[in-house]
Amino acid sequence: MFTASWIGQFLATGIRLATPLVFAALAAAVTVKAGMFNMGVEGMMLCAALAAPIVAAQTGSVWIGLLAGVLTRLLTALVISFSSLTGKTDLYLTCIAFNLMATGGTVFLMILLTGSQSDTLNALKIYMLPTLNIPLIEKIPILGPILSGHDILTYVAVLSVILVSFFFKRTRLGLRLRSVGENPQAAEAVGISSIKMRYIAFILSGLLSGLGGAFMSIGNVGYFMKNMVGGRGYIGLSAMNMANADAAGASLASLFFGLCEDISLTLKSNKTLNFPTQFLDMVPYAATILSIMVINFIRIAHQRKIEKGEVAAK
Amino acid sequence: MENITKIYSNGFVANKGITFGVGENEIHALVGENGAGKTTLMKILFGMENCQEGKIYINGKEEKITSPLDAIDKGVGMVHQHFMLLPSLSVAENVTLGVEPMKHGLFDFEAAVKATQEIADKYKFKVDARAKVRDLSVGQMQKVEILKALIKGAKILILDEPTAVLTPQETEELFEQLFLLRDTGVSVIFISHKLEEVMHICSKITVLRHGYCMGTYDAKDLTEASLSKMMVGRDVVLKIEKEDPKVGKPIVEIKDLVKIDPSGKHVIDGVSFSIHEGEVVGIAGVEGNGQDEVSDVLCGMGGFASGEVKLNDKSIKGKSVRAIRDMGLAYIAEDRMVYGVAGEMSIKMNIVADRFDKKEFKNGLFLNQAHVNEVVDKYIKEFEIACDGRDQPVRMLSGGNIQKVVVAREFTSGANFILANQPTRGIDVGTAEMIRKTIVRKSRNDGTATLLISADLNEVLECSDRLLVMRKGKIVAAFPKANEVSEETLGEYMLGVKEMTMEEMEALL
Amino acid sequence: MNKTQKIETGMELVRILICLLIAYAAALVILFLIADDPWFVIKTFITGPFSSPRRIGSVINQSIPFILCGLSMCFVYAVNKFNLAAEGIFMMSGCMVALVGLSLADYNLPSIVMMIIVYAVAIVTGIVLDYIPAILDRKFNANVVVVSLMLNSIVGFFAYWVLQNKLADPKKSSVESRTIPASIQMPDLFGKLKVPAGLIIALVCTVIVSIVFYRTSFGWKMRIVGSNPRFAKATGLNVLSISFAAQLAGGALAGIAGATEFMDNYKTFKWTTTTGHGFDGLLVAVLAKKNPRLVPIGALFLAYIRIGAEYLNSKSNGAVPKEFITVIQGIIILLIAAESFLSGTKNKIIFKEAQKRLDAEKAKNTAAA
Repeated sequence: MFTASWIGQFLATGIRLATPLVFAALAAAVTVKAGMFNMGVEGMMLCAALAAPIVAAQTGSVWIGLLAGVLTRLLTALVISFSSLTGKTDLYLTCIAFNLMATGGTVFLMILLTGSQSDTLNALKIYMLPTLNIPLIEKIPILGPILSGHDILTYVAVLSVILVSFFFKRTRLGLRLRSVGENPQAAEAVGISSIKMRYIAFILSGLLSGLGGAFMSIGNVGYFMKNMVGGRGYIGLSAMNMANADAAGASLASLFFGLCEDISLTLKSNKTLNFPTQFLDMVPYAATILSIMVINFIRIAHQRKIEKGEVAAK
Repeated sequence: MENITKIYSNGFVANKGITFGVGENEIHALVGENGAGKTTLMKILFGMENCQEGKIYINGKEEKITSPLDAIDKGVGMVHQHFMLLPSLSVAENVTLGVEPMKHGLFDFEAAVKATQEIADKYKFKVDARAKVRDLSVGQMQKVEILKALIKGAKILILDEPTAVLTPQETEELFEQLFLLRDTGVSVIFISHKLEEVMHICSKITVLRHGYCMGTYDAKDLTEASLSKMMVGRDVVLKIEKEDPKVGKPIVEIKDLVKIDPSGKHVIDGVSFSIHEGEVVGIAGVEGNGQDEVSDVLCGMGGFASGEVKLNDKSIKGKSVRAIRDMGLAYIAEDRMVYGVAGEMSIKMNIVADRFDKKEFKNGLFLNQAHVNEVVDKYIKEFEIACDGRDQPVRMLSGGNIQKVVVAREFTSGANFILANQPTRGIDVGTAEMIRKTIVRKSRNDGTATLLISADLNEVLECSDRLLVMRKGKIVAAFPKANEVSEETLGEYMLGVKEMTMEEMEALL
Repeated sequence: MNKTQKIETGMELVRILICLLIAYAAALVILFLIADDPWFVIKTFITGPFSSPRRIGSVINQSIPFILCGLSMCFVYAVNKFNLAAEGIFMMSGCMVALVGLSLADYNLPSIVMMIIVYAVAIVTGIVLDYIPAILDRKFNANVVVVSLMLNSIVGFFAYWVLQNKLADPKKSSVESRTIPASIQMPDLFGKLKVPAGLIIALVCTVIVSIVFYRTSFGWKMRIVGSNPRFAKATGLNVLSISFAAQLAGGALAGIAGATEFMDNYKTFKWTTTTGHGFDGLLVAVLAKKNPRLVPIGALFLAYIRIGAEYLNSKSNGAVPKEFITVIQGIIILLIAAESFLSGTKNKIIFKEAQKRLDAEKAKNTAAA
């Protein structure tokens, strides 16, 4: 069973499954760098996931659909940021409320626009984003399926990781965002408006989670399904938490979670070992909780050592 | 700056008609005790606060400074006591934040490094522009802060207590740098209460006291002693009638207490003293010298590294606040809105917050509301709390009345040790009077032991029986009768002009 | 000072009412825009729930789990720890009730005994499940919201597995359990209104929780901790264990909620996913401003608009998808939680009152002089 091609396929699937997580993690990382914990990623992705196939169907172009997905996300990001920054709601509450709205609202719009009561939106023509097959590379065993043949957004995801890291280290805006997150007083003292920066952070977050949400519908399966994000926003958030908002680390963590989901899927489809499906479904979520526990435990233990003077504080 | 008056929104007048000026090529000291108004005056100059009255002239021209950015534009830079740096970024990034050099729309890191290096070299600062700020020593961090101001073209540099966090060597380095700055045309305003330093580097000294300007003098005309006399003084002498204390057995005993903060500094450096039944022990000292940490340790809000602390003959090490309170502690916190009350909750709940769990207030499983109301109403009357009834949320009361709620709770808890940290800060004269008189009365009539930590000289000299002075985490002076200590003497110990030896203090601790 | 306090409470009430009105108006606007026959749809939405005793009964029926979940979230919200495990607890509790009920069916125990056993099981389930995010938060500093949401998913799957493998009735075509014994099916009250007896449980719990909040030392401790945790610590309260206990109490109530809802309205267990009541409970708690005494009112309002929406769902009434109500719910939470919303107006009014008083005093003084 563990043939080379199987491994390649397995890893490739893992990467595919990790793509939305990576986008979610990056989206969250952007806001965390600016000092806020954006839990609304989940709802944001859902909105994009709905908008993309609908607009794609209406306009006949998958690319416009993608754009629409991203735009909805920007809009929703503005709603959340307006609410919490200007309206001064507690950010947690806002995100919870928003995610609720997204869950119900997307179903509402779906039924409204298609007139059907089903849970999935496959009444519309299916549009999917193209996959990218790199000619020579795809022939390499094991590495082939890993590196090539992915949906275009997966490549975009990888690119995004690089771009986001670059953005924060090398651009003026990135620098200012980080300053607002690290020490808003210091930033204000040199004239940087922390509120303006935070809005910008949210908008960027919107962009990224928009891509993630769009991937789930038009990239992965071609249609929208009720509640298809299924907690991936939160998993991406945890990935980011684990990596301490570092872009590269977060994507590795996302990959890990993607592989977990992969394991669960593989075991499900394997008829010989008869694992009950529900337990397998639990795997990504349980993995999240476990990894949070482990990472935090290590962090706290390290902190205690510093206080006792055994390790020099950094 | 001419005739500056600043009144804060709670009625506290921080600056009263101060006129102050700095010339070119001058290091000018601004001295005064805590609360004298130095930081406020500088905040006005730096555009962080505005003033009710007064004008500011820069280079002969009248200017209105509306914000820190405005101040920077006009050549005024300020280095705050608490650094405003970004630890995970490099020196160059910190220094150029806000004026980042760009190339092709991207942040040009190399150009930032170059610019930083240039400025550093110009003023002979030795810093590595690429190093991350969190890896720097405190002294170097301060240099980065100064560079931040210089790179934006500051001609007037305000330094707020710069040497508070430096080692002696770093302080020397800083002074050399300041001399250089002065000679290249930057004027420095040096806020401090470290008299030896002020005398060392400054040519002119302006003294502020209680919001008033006591005058500007040439440094060569003053001695440390004459300077401290001007800084430390009471305008109105408050005399409280009191008999001599009937001192009983020790209630609080502290031996060789040491507390280390996360950066490794010994904020309490081997302190020993005791407080007896029936007496009020006061701790005077410039804020930040360890008094607050002693308070934290005694009430259980913070731990300590080593030493022994006993309350009523039992050690408090490792015990919770609840346990220590049960052992006999009553605590008036320094920051009443954060630690003294729950603003949203009613007066009733705040007053009984430490005791509603006790038998007398319970009726089986439930609270005996009637009894609670009775007790609370009694205290409202006894302490003359001006309010709309016991159910009013505390935050709607005036500062003085909020403090009355706090003392209503703490003074009636049945404790025999009262820890009072700045008990009358920011409240009206009448309430302050009442609180002080109650502290004295309780010590005489009920035999309570009290530790009074206060930056208010009046208070600490008149209410205390024995008086201790703390500096740099240590006790540097002890006096048997507080109301016989002169202000000059006290000032000298507080500001480090003099220090008592252990033998002198032994018996008095 | 008295005036200020009156103005504040008055303004708070007005603010909540305005938020509700805006949200309700938004609902009406949405309906107007999408319905073919707007006026009919709007009228049905507003008056539908009252159109027959049966319907009024269903509003009350719907409000029962809202009340209980609202009470649960009051505990959690009171200490500012957004532990949302109530959602999973609700479903798991129903599942456990079915499990226990069916296992003991053969013993033919009297109704009262069964009820007690079943509720005990529900409470234990709630406490155990709510314990997990709470302990992870305390020991590992894990984000309570994320952990509780993950847990909800896990619990959801687990309950479904239990349903499929332990409870499922092979004779039935859809996935549901065997019929639960009559001893644990709640009877209906009030004749035509058809309100299940669970209402009594809900009301009793409201009373108990209100008493706990306002008349026991634990309730006071909880509220102080929620209001200013640093002050709580300085006064000797054990902030960590109080927050912890509050979350467990919330869990117990969520367990009661799930059990009650199940026994009220179902003869077989057939929930395949979590039902959303946990989040509804949060909305009710926010509406009631953490005050258990106001929870029933909030719950009734929510039930009212929900039933209205469901009513519209049927073809004859416009076939408006009922999910739009979740959007409205979100709007309500956002508006109410937005502290700065209308606070400007509130401050202006307070200021004006203060001015008036000052002027009056001045006038009095000059007259007296």
